[in-house]
Amino acid sequence: MEKKKNKFLSNRGFMIFAVLALLIILASIFAPLICHGVDPIEGELANSIMAPNADHPFGTDKMGRDVFARVIYGSRTSLVSTFSLVLTIFVLGTLLGILAGYFGGWVDAVIMRLADMMISFPGLVLAIAVAGLLGASMKNAIIAIAIVSWPKYARLARSLVMKIRHTDFVAAAQVTGSRTGYMLRKYMLPNTITTLVITAATDIGSMMMELAALSFLGFGAQAPTPEWGSMLNEGRNFMQSAPWMVVYPGLAIFVTVVIFNMLGDNLRDILDPKSE
Amino acid sequence: MKKTIAILLCMLLFTGLIAGCGGNGAGSGDSASADAKTLTFGCQMYSDGMICPWQQTNCAWNCMRYGISECLFKFDDNSQPQPWLAESIENTDDHKTWTIKLKEGVKFSNGEDMTASKVKAALDYVREKGPEGSSTPENFLEFAAEVTADDANNTIVIQTETPYANLAGNLADPAMAIVDYEGTGDNYENGMIGTGPYMVKEFHNQVGYDMVKNPYYREEVPYDNVTILFMGDASAKANALLAGQIDIAENIMSVSDLQKLQDDPNFTVDITAGVRCGFSWINFNGILANDDLRHAVLMAIDSDTICHSNTIGDLYTPGFSVLPSGMGYGYETLNNPWAYDADAAAKLLDDAGIVDTNGNGIRELDGQDIYLNYVSYENRLLNDFSDAHTQYLTKIGIGVNSDYGSSDDQWNKLVAGEYDLNNNNWNHLIAGAPDTYLGNWCSNNSANYCGYKNEEYDKLYDELIHELDTDARHDKLVQMQQILIDDGVAVIDGYYNSCMVYNNSTVGYAHILPNDYYWISQEITPAN
Repeated sequence: MEKKKNKFLSNRGFMIFAVLALLIILASIFAPLICHGVDPIEGELANSIMAPNADHPFGTDKMGRDVFARVIYGSRTSLVSTFSLVLTIFVLGTLLGILAGYFGGWVDAVIMRLADMMISFPGLVLAIAVAGLLGASMKNAIIAIAIVSWPKYARLARSLVMKIRHTDFVAAAQVTGSRTGYMLRKYMLPNTITTLVITAATDIGSMMMELAALSFLGFGAQAPTPEWGSMLNEGRNFMQSAPWMVVYPGLAIFVTVVIFNMLGDNLRDILDPKSE
Repeated sequence: MKKTIAILLCMLLFTGLIAGCGGNGAGSGDSASADAKTLTFGCQMYSDGMICPWQQTNCAWNCMRYGISECLFKFDDNSQPQPWLAESIENTDDHKTWTIKLKEGVKFSNGEDMTASKVKAALDYVREKGPEGSSTPENFLEFAAEVTADDANNTIVIQTETPYANLAGNLADPAMAIVDYEGTGDNYENGMIGTGPYMVKEFHNQVGYDMVKNPYYREEVPYDNVTILFMGDASAKANALLAGQIDIAENIMSVSDLQKLQDDPNFTVDITAGVRCGFSWINFNGILANDDLRHAVLMAIDSDTICHSNTIGDLYTPGFSVLPSGMGYGYETLNNPWAYDADAAAKLLDDAGIVDTNGNGIRELDGQDIYLNYVSYENRLLNDFSDAHTQYLTKIGIGVNSDYGSSDDQWNKLVAGEYDLNNNNWNHLIAGAPDTYLGNWCSNNSANYCGYKNEEYDKLYDELIHELDTDARHDKLVQMQQILIDDGVAVIDGYYNSCMVYNNSTVGYAHILPNDYYWISQEITPAN
């Protein structure tokens, strides 16, 4: 454990991006303080589409709302929904993958054919179709992307389980009377978890992008909820005349995605067994 | 070997380069027609671009907007019907017999003469087929009306059972266009033959039309070809104009784009006070049947600020009546008891016991949080209005659930009564008079989608549609407007101002009329 800790602390890249990620999370938690109490939802039409100024450092949007407050509060929506999504597909995909790999047979066939069906469509297109059927909301956007994203984890978990399924130590555990639940919990899960955690960490950025894309297309967060993707959509008609409406939420997405991607990459460098 | 591969790759790249340069952009043409004048027109697509007048209202409008069909009469800048294919019109004192002298020398684009018999055939056919479509031609000329043709004198006589105040206005509706239904044959959806300056050469589904000039048109037609391109995105038309991909566009609806084009000396923006009123229906079968709540909603919304904001950019003129303020319906004599006053709105709710007892910021009525179901769709800034209304309502503790979809969704929910507020934009001058439009609030009218009922209004409406005297009609219109205002039947967005924008280097003149039936005409001329 001490060795692991040192590994994390000694990786400069990881530490830098971990601190930056922490700053983003803190910004979302302390949004009311950072915004000095400015409500991201309340606006004045008389102040609509104003360029950045002393009162509104990022300008105002078409409803006269403060873009700075919306960008800061938008981090709450983006981070919470992204972490929820990644956690959902991580848990669901890992569980189904381990079951498929461990039991094999018809269980494996059913789960994997379902996974094949999901990955035979372009991901975002299928997500749009699902979100369209369920209705436009952030919750439904998470469900839509989760439905098309879990197979990645399931296939990975399955292959990792199958790698050890017929090894001697697993057979020995079975011979000594270990029950199925114990086998899954004590042998299968620990042997897959590291790789899956790395995958989840590197997925945070791309999932954030996909959620923003759905919101941009109108299938995710709905106005007046501050969300970066929907802010881009609201501002796209004003890209030339009021660029601040798209530049700042765009920048927020860019910076956050880069930080979490780099964090994931560095985490992979630390945890990847091949690098040991 | 390497040299051979390199040569092959270079040839491939060169071929690709040549192929890439050979695109069929809007401005390009083949060498044989290098001197041909072509107008490229960007517009919204309605009803898949179909152009058969009896099928749907939008189809009838498309046919006229694209410069294919014409009516016997046309609305001018003052929305008064003026002779178009007709020369003159006379009526008997009882307003039941109308004699229309037709213009000489008019031909359809297939070369057929527009005789009195052809006009009769068109007017009869559209009413015969009317029940199969939704253009409701019977609203403009009753089924019982009899049309008699006199080819020798180039005259038609229309005999009606009920008196019409001004039949010319009814006959100016695009549904009553004089087209050659018989000559068109089976290609009526996209190949209608009319008397307009342009005719269909080819239809491209979801893309647009290739049009050519009508060789038989009675006046000089300025362009040899017109390319109509459908553009749905709010900014697409503006960007296409700026990029030189189109020469002219109707109704740029993004304020920022419009301002940019207005500031650019290379473009001309022609704006006119239109005949459209943007308003949100209020459902009287729902929670807004509560008078105090409804009146508070009206008082909470600052229409003036919304219309003058950078978001709406004066594309709408603010007002509080369902009839536009600048059309001579006595707007200046009307009184609005529900003028913007957020504090008074909050007090009205407080006094009525509609308060927030559970501290969640939303007032309650009958123990339930008030969340209004607000239906809207993306057209003519309607969603921006709905967002703005929502913002104002939230400030006085009224919650709103936004339900934004397509125009079809909006319409279906309106008809089904699945809304509290339903935002849309109506042409109030159907058939040249506000009668049909005002029927929306008449309790026994099939177009009353809001459940509003006021016996005094119903009585006045019944009198209005049978009233022929201009002054008496005016008085009734004023009274009816005031009743609707007092009862608070709609949240008025404002009165929409139509526009036409063109590139000065390719277009010399274009003009948009208040009645937006007219887009492409022979009046649009090339630069120089």
